[in-house]
Amino acid sequence: MSENPQRGRLSARLLAHGTEPDPRFTLANERTFLAWIRTALAFLAGGVAVEAFAAEVFADPYRTVVSVLTISVGLLISVGAALRWLNVERSMRLGHPLPMPLIIPLLSFASGVAMAVIIALVVLD
Amino acid sequence: MPPAAPLHADPGLQPERTVLSWGRTMMLFAVVGAVFLRWLPHYGFWTLGLTLSCAVVAGAIYLTQRRRYSRQSRGIAAEQVEADVPAVLITTLATVVLGLLGILAVLA
Repeated sequence: MSENPQRGRLSARLLAHGTEPDPRFTLANERTFLAWIRTALAFLAGGVAVEAFAAEVFADPYRTVVSVLTISVGLLISVGAALRWLNVERSMRLGHPLPMPLIIPLLSFASGVAMAVIIALVVLD
Repeated sequence: MPPAAPLHADPGLQPERTVLSWGRTMMLFAVVGAVFLRWLPHYGFWTLGLTLSCAVVAGAIYLTQRRRYSRQSRGIAAEQVEADVPAVLITTLATVVLGLLGILAVLA
């Protein structure tokens, strides 16, 4: 707080160390976060759509499981997006290398599982 | 007449791109809200709350866009933009709450 009295309280608490990075990088990090949030929202809408529209494709218990799993992936991605945003912001302030994006393997794994489930259900039907 | 928003000299148009990115996110919140409407016949009227929450988040983004743009262009001009911690936290929280309520609705 002492270095820049204009900083917000949350910002001063969560991003306490280091110096302000290039504003272009801060904005780029914000856009990347938003792209992940849109990915999470797409999973959320997908889960809702499975439950609402896919009654003829998936039998009842499967549909609920697929819907809950899809929405859960959206939840994990949105939390991961915020954590990644924070970690990148901290690394930039300290001049450290950027952290590995753990949500990318999560996204790949979730998409793979989702497709495998759909193929299995359609083939078995 | 003074310009509506402060001018910046960034050839990468960072404030424009960031505000557009928020705009796309706002539209997706609206779309998710519309998709929740499909649950109305199955899960009853309380699901309207999910749609309304999406509308509130989308509306909040819409109403803050102008301020966001001028804050960011000022920041580019001054070579210092404070990371928008509240916006990130609130957007994440809204997404998490919508997801949790969605799961509850499916399981109930």
